[in-house]
Amino acid sequence: MIKTDLLVIGAGPAGLCAAVAAGESGKDVLILERSHTPGGQLVKQTHMFFGSEKQHAATRGFDIASILLDKLNAMSNVRMVTNATVLAAYDDGLWTADILGKYEKIMPQAVVCATGANEKSLAFPGCDLPGVYGAGAVQTLMNQYGVLPAERAVMLGAGNIGLIVSYQLLQAGVKVLAVAEGSARIGGYLVHAAKLRRMGVPIMTAHTVKAAYGKESLEAVTLWALDDKWQGIPGTEITYRADTLCVAVGLSPLSELLWQAGCKMLYVPALGGHVPYRDDNLRTSLPHIFVAGDAAGVEEASSAMVEGTLAGLSAAEYLNAAPADIKERKNDCLSQLAQLRSGHVGERISAGLELARIKEAAGIC
Amino acid sequence: MLEQTGIPEASDINGVFPSDERLAKGPVAVIECFQRIPCNPCSTACRRGAIEAFDDINDLPKVNHEKCNGCSLCVSRCPGLAIMVVDMTYAEDKALLKLPYEFAPLPEEGSSVTALNRAGEAVGEALVVKVQNTPALDKTPLVSIAVAKDLARTVRNFRVTDDTSAESPGILRGDEAPSPMVCRCNDLDLDNIRDLMKKGFTSIDEIKRVSRLGMGPCQGRNCIPLVLGELSRFLGKPVSELDPGTYRPVVKSVSLGAVAEYDGEALTE
Repeated sequence: MIKTDLLVIGAGPAGLCAAVAAGESGKDVLILERSHTPGGQLVKQTHMFFGSEKQHAATRGFDIASILLDKLNAMSNVRMVTNATVLAAYDDGLWTADILGKYEKIMPQAVVCATGANEKSLAFPGCDLPGVYGAGAVQTLMNQYGVLPAERAVMLGAGNIGLIVSYQLLQAGVKVLAVAEGSARIGGYLVHAAKLRRMGVPIMTAHTVKAAYGKESLEAVTLWALDDKWQGIPGTEITYRADTLCVAVGLSPLSELLWQAGCKMLYVPALGGHVPYRDDNLRTSLPHIFVAGDAAGVEEASSAMVEGTLAGLSAAEYLNAAPADIKERKNDCLSQLAQLRSGHVGERISAGLELARIKEAAGIC
Repeated sequence: MLEQTGIPEASDINGVFPSDERLAKGPVAVIECFQRIPCNPCSTACRRGAIEAFDDINDLPKVNHEKCNGCSLCVSRCPGLAIMVVDMTYAEDKALLKLPYEFAPLPEEGSSVTALNRAGEAVGEALVVKVQNTPALDKTPLVSIAVAKDLARTVRNFRVTDDTSAESPGILRGDEAPSPMVCRCNDLDLDNIRDLMKKGFTSIDEIKRVSRLGMGPCQGRNCIPLVLGELSRFLGKPVSELDPGTYRPVVKSVSLGAVAEYDGEALTE
């Protein structure tokens, strides 16, 4: 059995920042990462980040991952293990993991759950044909593994993931035939939409997929227009010859471990699904478990990094190892988060976060 | 409308273009940023203070056209690639547009390319005057193209290859579409799920026990949100009032051998 002061689950933007913040306190930190490489989604983000300098704005995602990993590698009290999937949380405080195929038990004093999110799927005729992918999967194939997954692609979803992956498909030389978006407005940043449009890619709002066709794998995708009750309108069908359909219809927080640990959970559509109740320090209903990043509610990587720092600081405080300036640092995190969430997309997220907020325990001290 | 199509309107563009007087004085930055999003690198990139400092990170950039000298430092720093530099003094009948361009192959200086508007439609010819791709630009090369002056507000992109293979998508006949797959791990389609609901299995745990929904390698990550949506419609209740089922250890398949052989040494070396 491994004993550690802090277990951080997930080495994406939130987990890495949590480990950096908690690692600075001198406590033993163990980060377990399911993938064979750390960095989470950052390693495939070839675009420049939004936000401000504090969240590495105008730096490309994979460069941000390197910056965070350099900080971690300089800390002898932080240990990161890849190919390590946390399997379960038990109510006596024990956690188990599959580490390179071996079973391991872990007894941490505190936990930061930064497990990220899962791509949502959509049920439509032909959705199980080879060639129908989550957009994030296509991004991983292209940008992380250097595999060209498509020749002719249709994108479903004009949120930031749909728009960014469409642009990156174009950069890889793929013909992007159309971006369909169920709602009447483009959900992602309009600058991303404009980048695609001026490359000649149509963005079709109030459209969705009717069906995907193919014998062995995807050969054609039929889109159709939606009425204001989200019902397909017969006669509006458009069919594209395509070998790839990317589904980018949102993410769900990966919260199974929090359920198992016994955290109080709530379904919040604006945050992508079931999320744990948490206070302003990102502490869940269980005093030793903290949450950060998409597992706390689906947002951008910029806010995931700030949440990670906040959760790491809160965990250090819980372990009686708070830095002298913890109050200023936490307030700085809170004001960065407030700024990141104050824009057009942030309003809905802020309203969702308010539902899941534990109000009575605003201060840990 | 921009929010529906992704194409800024002429009024949007005119709203951010400098005055004709300023344009007559030389190169100047034009920022097509029309939506409040949390992003400020443009204002911190400018060394002349020509992009006003933001009070709120969501502010829209305001360019002081008198302070801006069109140096283009901000162009490759904008994560949205929303900035270009326009020089109406480049030649008698030509304007120079300095555009961020993140595609391979880069055009060759002196070559001719097809000028595109904000919908990606060909609107004329452009001459590639300069291509900059220094390390400081961090993989967002800047390409300067000369276009007819009256196209300066229309052109925002270009195409290197002459790919005009526009194709009209055909309508596909035959509606032999199968029932949508919901749970690939256990081969359950939407008709299967709806049949179970009609038979009275109206919770995730009930459907799971009778059909093995969510018990495969994905452990319900793909199918359970879909079935929660179906249950919500069937029962007329919001998803927040439905029980998503019990999440039991372990979250992914693990061999019994790995558990049996547990020796506490997975992390020793």
